[in-house]
Amino acid sequence: MKLNRRAFVGTGMAAASTLSAPMVHAASHGKPKVVVVGGGAGGATAARYIAKDSAGEIDVTLIEPTRTYYTCFFSNLYIGGFRDLNSIAHSYGKLASEYGINVVHDWATGVDRDAKTVALAGGGSVPYDRLILSPGIDFIEGSVPGWDISAQNAMPHAYKAGSQTELLKAQIMAMPEGGTYVMVAPPNPYRCPPGPYERISMVAHLLKANNPTAKIIIADPKEKFSKQALFEEGWQKHYTGMVERIGPDFGGGNVTVDPAAMTVNIDGEVVNADVVNVIPAQKAGLICDAAGLTEGNWAPVDGHSMVSRLDENIHILGDATNQGDMPKSGYSANSQAKVAAMAVRGALTGSRVFPAKFSNTCWSLIATDDGVKVGAAYEPNDEKIASVSSFVSQTGEDSALRKATYEESIGWYEGITTDMFG
Amino acid sequence: MANNSGLFVSVLGGAALVLGAAYGWTARDFRSQELVALTDRLSQLEASNTDLAERVEQKADLEEKISELEVSLAAALEAVEAAKSAAAAPAPAPAAPEPDTIVADASGFQFGDPSRGEEVFAQCRSCHQIGQGASDRIGPHLNGIFGRRAGAHDGFRYSDDMAMMGSDGLTWEIETLNAYLENPKALVSRTRMNFAGLKDAQDRSDILAYLRQFSASPQNIPEAAPTAQAREVDLSPEVLAIVGDTDYGEYLASECKTCHQQDGSDQGIPSIIQWPTEDFVVAMHAYKRQIRPHPVMQMMASRLSDEEIAALAAYFAQLE
Ligand SMILES: Cc1cc2nc3c(=O)[nH]c(=O)nc-3n(C[C@H](O)[C@H](O)[C@H](O)COP(=O)(O)OP(=O)(O)OC[C@H]3O[C@@H](n4cnc5c(N)ncnc54)[C@H](O)[C@@H]3O)c2cc1C
Repeated sequence: MKLNRRAFVGTGMAAASTLSAPMVHAASHGKPKVVVVGGGAGGATAARYIAKDSAGEIDVTLIEPTRTYYTCFFSNLYIGGFRDLNSIAHSYGKLASEYGINVVHDWATGVDRDAKTVALAGGGSVPYDRLILSPGIDFIEGSVPGWDISAQNAMPHAYKAGSQTELLKAQIMAMPEGGTYVMVAPPNPYRCPPGPYERISMVAHLLKANNPTAKIIIADPKEKFSKQALFEEGWQKHYTGMVERIGPDFGGGNVTVDPAAMTVNIDGEVVNADVVNVIPAQKAGLICDAAGLTEGNWAPVDGHSMVSRLDENIHILGDATNQGDMPKSGYSANSQAKVAAMAVRGALTGSRVFPAKFSNTCWSLIATDDGVKVGAAYEPNDEKIASVSSFVSQTGEDSALRKATYEESIGWYEGITTDMFG
Repeated sequence: MANNSGLFVSVLGGAALVLGAAYGWTARDFRSQELVALTDRLSQLEASNTDLAERVEQKADLEEKISELEVSLAAALEAVEAAKSAAAAPAPAPAAPEPDTIVADASGFQFGDPSRGEEVFAQCRSCHQIGQGASDRIGPHLNGIFGRRAGAHDGFRYSDDMAMMGSDGLTWEIETLNAYLENPKALVSRTRMNFAGLKDAQDRSDILAYLRQFSASPQNIPEAAPTAQAREVDLSPEVLAIVGDTDYGEYLASECKTCHQQDGSDQGIPSIIQWPTEDFVVAMHAYKRQIRPHPVMQMMASRLSDEEIAALAAYFAQLE
């Protein structure tokens, strides 16, 4: 079903006319049309801001296959028992009813960049004047030998939230006493740099309460990781002796798995595991490649407006992009979406366009009331989005500050999800 | 008077039109224009005349009031003197308690040290003023807080919860203030006061002793020089006078809304809507200069220009 651009364009009008195409209109007639692919942190925010701020002057269509979006952010807190699954589930109801966005629950399978239409898995295509892609990530096949997407039930990634997260938690709860959880951590760059390590903290928190003799092993191809000093201090303090990390010097980057046998081979040493959480290497959501908008694994964009460097009518947001210094986070995707929304409105309706500003903060929870954060502000130059100032929580902070930091993250979650879904 | 001159203008204007018509428009347009300009000027002069007359009247009024006040002040002083000599005659009455020596209230609450309380109060000053000339800022001023019904100080916009607690009968007395200061949200769950609370009982009793001095009886409001009005950061009048561009503010504010909620709710992260613009500007400059400690806010503010801060202040001030 995956159409790449050449295939789609190459078969040309013949292919287009064989599709039953209920929605094909010449996009140049009537109101300008914006199509957004992906209703996550980037896409939902962009769709909402364009619809809200253009007050009916722009027709906005959001293409997203799922009816419920589970945020990856705070999905680790669900594993740790600090949130229930419902509290991280969001629907698209308000975007449709309050903002007049045409929400289409379908997969985008290809983009005809000459005709300016997006093909849908369910048949038909949708025309656009400007297209916004925010499809998040997909996994690089073969990056963890022995694992592929068909093994995700035996060895979940839980790096797209929802049933995967639920499955991982259920597996952890079902571990035998003193059992072993192994995480295969991803190489850079990947979605949410502190994400795997916040997950380790939450898994440890869960096991400490339910299975305190259980072991946690991380096989990690990276020498260093985000907020490392803070996490290691926290693990030492709250989960003494539970967490063992095998870095690249000890073969943490040389890993194969056997989902049938539930074993992990770390640099020749076979570990029998009860739960194996494989987080493979990542690349831009498949639609970017299908549309011919990637260079290497990611889609290059110009940070002034998040416009693709390969197509001036397409903006790309969030995890899928190669933009420069911003980490792949929900906060970043949300921040980029507002810049793109302003640029798109400016181009289509002549509204005012101000200089782009970006920011990011990632909060992580290490244990009950022990929150930490890292963040930076960014501005675009012609080459990339560059960091202009940054901060990170310090080791040894007092418990009141850590608690306030955690409470702040709850406020941020409310804020960003309201900003995405209304 | 104003009405009259309006009428006057329209009558003259009408006359000018008639004249203009009589002389023929093509050649004499400029004359009627001149006439209109003249009548305009005339009505302006008249208006400022009235203004002057009104002010003279006001001045007389004020002078009268001042002399009335002087009379009643003299009477009051006399009464005080009389009371003093009456009190002096029998056994010496206990002196009015000094601020430092108020020990306990009827409830048994121990008031602490007001001068230490003043230091503890420093953290409240970015939102609350107290003392002479105190006015409402992000929070209401705190003169006369003892005995005041919660959420009832005129002209201040309280959270719905605070207003409701007030109408349900919450009054600021020693016990309620003590509880509120310890944990604001435990007492008024959705108060807009974004303050974690003073957990230390000594801090609370000191600060309450300090606040107590600015409420009526048994002590008078001290004539201390106003301190509350000093700004956290020194900003030039030019910076404070910048009129923010609300459109630009709206774009910049989209960054704030990732965390700060537009509807003013404030779980873990304070509400920033409807602040007086000056307070907003001062707060942002305090972050920018790293006088206020929060790292996220320091980072956000560090790259905002004076104009951008003014734009944000203007935008958030006008949010409903
Ligand atoms: C465990 C974990 C913890 C995290 N914690 C945080 C955190 O605390 N803070 C933070 O800021 N970030 C966090 N993140 C990162 C954050 O979730 C992502 O960076 C963010 O979701 C990226 O937004 P996006 O719009 O690029 O992609 P997504 O939010 O993933 O949205 C992509 C959407 O596109 C849809 N889609 C994909 N392909 C197509 C297609 N072809 N057609 C139609 N729709 C399509 C998908 O269904 C999906 O809904 C975390 C991530 C993980 C995994």
